[in-house]
Amino acid sequence: MKPPRLSYARPESLDDALSLAARYGADAKLLAGGQSLVPMLNLRLADPGILIDLNRLSSLSGIRRENGSLRIGALTRHRELELSAEAAAAEPMLKRAAREIGHLAIRNRGTVGGSIAHADPSAEWPLLAVALDAKLGLRSQRKSRTVPAREFFAGPFTTCAEPDEILTEIDFPLATSGGGFGFQELCRRPGDFAIVAVACRLDLENGRCTAARIAVGGAGPTPLHLPAVEAIVKGSRGENDAINEAAAAASRAVDPASDLHGSADYRRRMVAVLARRALSEAFTNASPS
Amino acid sequence: MNEPLSRLTIRLSINGRKVEREVSARVTLADFIRDDLGLCATRLGCEHGVCGACTIIMDGVSVRSCLLLAVQADGAEIRTVEGLAEAGAMSAVQRAFRDHHALQCGFCTSGFLMTATELFERDAAADESEIRHALSGNLCRCTGYANIVDAVAALLGRES
Amino acid sequence: MKTPPATTAKLLGARVHRVEDPRVLLGHARFVDDIALPGKLALAFARSPYAHARIVSINTEPARSIPGIECVLTSADANELVAPLRMEHRPSFPAPPCRPVQWPVLAEGKVRFVGEAVVAVAAENRALAEDAAAAVEIEWEELEPVTDPERARRPESPRVHDEWPDNIFQTVEFSAGPVADAFDRADLVVSERFRIGRHMALPMEGRGIAASFDPASEILTVWASTQMPHVLRAEIARVLRCAENSVRVIAVDVGGGFGLKSHVFPEELLAAALARRLARPVEWIEDRREHLIASQHARDQIVRAEMAVARDGAILGLRAHITCDIGAYTEYPWRTFEANVTAMAMPGPYRIPAYQYTTVSVATNKCSIGAYRGVGQPIGVFAMERLVDIAAARLGIDRIEMRTRNMIARDEHPYTTITGDQIESGSHRECLRKAVEMISSGPHTGRPNSPSIRRGVGFASYVEMTAPSSMVWQTLGPPGSGSEPAMVRMETDGSVTVALGTNSQGQSHQTVFAQAAAAVLGIDPDRIRVVQGDTAATPRGWFAGGSRVAVVSGGAVIRAAEKVRDKLLGAASMMSELPVSELVIRGGSICRAADGAPISPIAEVAEAIWIGRAGLPPDEDQGLEFTVRYEPPPVTHSNACHAAIVDVDTETGTVAIRRYVVVEDCGTMLNPDVVDGQIQGGVAQGIGGALYEEIVYDDNGQILTGTLMDYMPPTAPDVPRVEIAHIETPSPFTVWGIKGMGEGGAIAPPAAIANALADALREFDPRVNRTPLTPERVLSMIPSKNSR
Repeated sequence: MKPPRLSYARPESLDDALSLAARYGADAKLLAGGQSLVPMLNLRLADPGILIDLNRLSSLSGIRRENGSLRIGALTRHRELELSAEAAAAEPMLKRAAREIGHLAIRNRGTVGGSIAHADPSAEWPLLAVALDAKLGLRSQRKSRTVPAREFFAGPFTTCAEPDEILTEIDFPLATSGGGFGFQELCRRPGDFAIVAVACRLDLENGRCTAARIAVGGAGPTPLHLPAVEAIVKGSRGENDAINEAAAAASRAVDPASDLHGSADYRRRMVAVLARRALSEAFTNASPS
Repeated sequence: MNEPLSRLTIRLSINGRKVEREVSARVTLADFIRDDLGLCATRLGCEHGVCGACTIIMDGVSVRSCLLLAVQADGAEIRTVEGLAEAGAMSAVQRAFRDHHALQCGFCTSGFLMTATELFERDAAADESEIRHALSGNLCRCTGYANIVDAVAALLGRES
Repeated sequence: MKTPPATTAKLLGARVHRVEDPRVLLGHARFVDDIALPGKLALAFARSPYAHARIVSINTEPARSIPGIECVLTSADANELVAPLRMEHRPSFPAPPCRPVQWPVLAEGKVRFVGEAVVAVAAENRALAEDAAAAVEIEWEELEPVTDPERARRPESPRVHDEWPDNIFQTVEFSAGPVADAFDRADLVVSERFRIGRHMALPMEGRGIAASFDPASEILTVWASTQMPHVLRAEIARVLRCAENSVRVIAVDVGGGFGLKSHVFPEELLAAALARRLARPVEWIEDRREHLIASQHARDQIVRAEMAVARDGAILGLRAHITCDIGAYTEYPWRTFEANVTAMAMPGPYRIPAYQYTTVSVATNKCSIGAYRGVGQPIGVFAMERLVDIAAARLGIDRIEMRTRNMIARDEHPYTTITGDQIESGSHRECLRKAVEMISSGPHTGRPNSPSIRRGVGFASYVEMTAPSSMVWQTLGPPGSGSEPAMVRMETDGSVTVALGTNSQGQSHQTVFAQAAAAVLGIDPDRIRVVQGDTAATPRGWFAGGSRVAVVSGGAVIRAAEKVRDKLLGAASMMSELPVSELVIRGGSICRAADGAPISPIAEVAEAIWIGRAGLPPDEDQGLEFTVRYEPPPVTHSNACHAAIVDVDTETGTVAIRRYVVVEDCGTMLNPDVVDGQIQGGVAQGIGGALYEEIVYDDNGQILTGTLMDYMPPTAPDVPRVEIAHIETPSPFTVWGIKGMGEGGAIAPPAAIANALADALREFDPRVNRTPLTPERVLSMIPSKNSR
């Protein structure tokens, strides 16, 4: 199981990387953590011909607050996010999700940006980006733009990034005080890709939900934002009826495919179960205002 | 480094020793360590990043060497099982595995040793459940894991 | 049988560091891929993308033209190098008849399963070989595949082997006792259809071979990841059409086998043949994809079973119809016997007065099935132990009580079962009682702390067939020997070399047999080196598997060591003029038994023997070396009871094993640490088969579980720490009463977990009748309105 023939470029600056991306475009693949790309090379499911290694671009790494958001450089390793006090303070659901990604060795290399650009419908970062309405920074030699995560994912392993664009940062909104989050992932064994997963972030005032952000992963070609569910949750205090109604709505909103790890019917039912658990978790774990 | 190349020269440190080699861009770090450097204790169990048999320590953290290309290791410090012993004497991690009957066929052992070495050097405080999660990325078919968990628990100063 | 001498008790059953460990831990282990062979070529294969298709044409030119490619072979080339792999029924052997199977080295005319090797490429390295294999152009004519074993039995089904009249490889019928009468007069008949899913051994090291022909010695040396160096040697010689004495097989380290590597595969034979033809070393190291798709699968049986019981729970009779999906070929060189072992395992530890079974082994367009830890026993135990629980529930009898009532009592042994198997000794009720006691106290015995969780406890008792004799093997199918040799030699310096006919794939043979020989000889185990795996350095043996090595290699080692000890003491007696009864070997010296005073160092006596100066009678040769071949009794039986507590999440169907108990009786234990390790490892594999591992084919015969992302062995968080207790009921027939146990841990978990699941969900009266018990399948047992 050896990779096919390939050529390798290792730019030392973002400008050099953008220049390579412009020159080779769709004939090249960007290499970040490699935890998704290199298995595909080994299995010969990918034959890009040219790899552009982004790992020397230290400017793309880092976690900091910027303009009222938590800015995460695309090259930030999962492990760094898992351990970051800054991230935990700004949006604790990020740390919670990071812990679930693969295994230690994968988190040591895999990157937040790489996961988002790879767009596996079952992966944690695409789900959180959609749930929290993150903003993604994309750069090419031609332009810089910001794309809402909710508009970024086009299908399984497919995004709206153009062949010469590099994802540079992900801006997550800061959690408001007094709110709560719920993160529920169903998988066969710890560290596996989720069969389905639900992420939600609630703003709460005196126990009443004033704003909700909810998305589901693993139940469709991309992570799915659930505005209909948010509408039910908003205004409630986490009563059983409200949560059950919201869970049922979540289940109706998805149209999952069947595969080896779960039939469509099972996934749909699990969306309801996980939505209920995530919402209960969010209401219960709300931090005191 | 702005031209894609199919062969590159890399310089790295392996178990404290500096080496320089020319490599093909498509060779994985695992194959480079085994075939070019002749260090065969790093093993190939799946070559798609699931089993952990190829685990090494690169720049201080455990990584799957089958998911890295050798060319990516330019400038890196690599540690493998062959570098764990000090002057021929087993390290604390190696001794713990021996003391707890934590290996049977030995094929997965190198990967577990390197994962355990990262945990030990980080001195992570962990209960049995956390230890099992930390080891969840290394597969074993012989031992059923219990003795490996015991070895790591002993290393981290915990009764399990 | 002699019981081990009292002085050996200290060493026997001792917990010692393994001699295997330092070299592995320090990085000096040598698996096949680690063997350095300068100038070696790497082999790769173009494999079939179809389950059933005719090969219309093959164009190898695009592959040949890649620089670095040494040769590209199709079936015509392979047939020149390698004689056909053919398995036929041999009427002079007692095994039941079966259809002949011809297994082409490279697919010829048509392919019969996805992954079958069609074209071989030898190149300077594996990456190039894969490039070339991918460049080969093959034109196909797709044929309709047959993937369902019950459908494959029908005469109109597509034929896997055109020369057979149908797809049935073998049918075996058995009947004993008043079966019809038992079912007529039963107060209750319980029946169920059990489906055990296809899974596999999945050792961490896949298959591999490296062969090198040395013109100086004219010997073909083959390094192999194998459980049977001597058998592989014979097969290589046979297919290469050369003398067995011109082939040497060496297994240095083997990364797990579990039965898979007690077979010979076409790829291995082709690599050996090429090495000789090309006069260059040739290596084939299987990658994980090949392993999952095209090595050897296991289990995959349907058991329709019925049990006739009386109102008081007494079992009156048993009927079983077993279908095994054996895949495209049969296990080589043995011929598949899985279904028959399932049938023989069903009676277990119970008194069954009447039993009728039929086994049907059916070919399909899938990878072949072969032996994997436990063979058919996990399936037979699953069916039986589920039936016992189902019957107990229907009768309103406590399931422990029902088991106890029907179990063979201690003093009923030796007990001849309804299939003619003689169980020499056993502790079935004692193990059950102890397991109940252990699982009933301790954590997780109370109610679970969440309303959506249901908790249950389940039990599974079994008898394990271990160390079969030559006759029993040959009756099952494999035309092999049940005996094993051991050579024990004391050198002139008093150190000892032990050479075994078997080799280890992790079972700690080098530690265990050094201990056993040390116990006999009265010397430190550090003075003993156990040699294994090299056909040039070991007496000719058979294979490691069938839970036989401790009994058979062990028996041979002990007997050979006894001869060395007796000769040593005899010579010491002559030299010291003291009677043998007054001498003992201790602390590196021959000593006076009465007060332990040393008389002479062992080395002095050993050397004297070697040069004929020990005063031994002239009819005793010079030399302190004995090879003993030990043939075990027909079957040696160990037994155990497994118990599990599981929590079922009724909303998701997820099953968590909270506790797992094993009470095991394998007679005399040579090393309890090793035994416990085998149990823990076996249980982990059993849990894999019970809950996680499944090989899935679609209706077109496409295999969907081709990577470890889809085929899921359990990881550290998935396997509980097994709580183990031992009962020791020695065999009255084997050396030191040793019984085999290596497979046992894997035999009962599917049954114990299924029974625990059925107990957890009893309010829903679930049909728990298949493995793996995935969350989705479990959820389907729970009515929707309850899974809130």
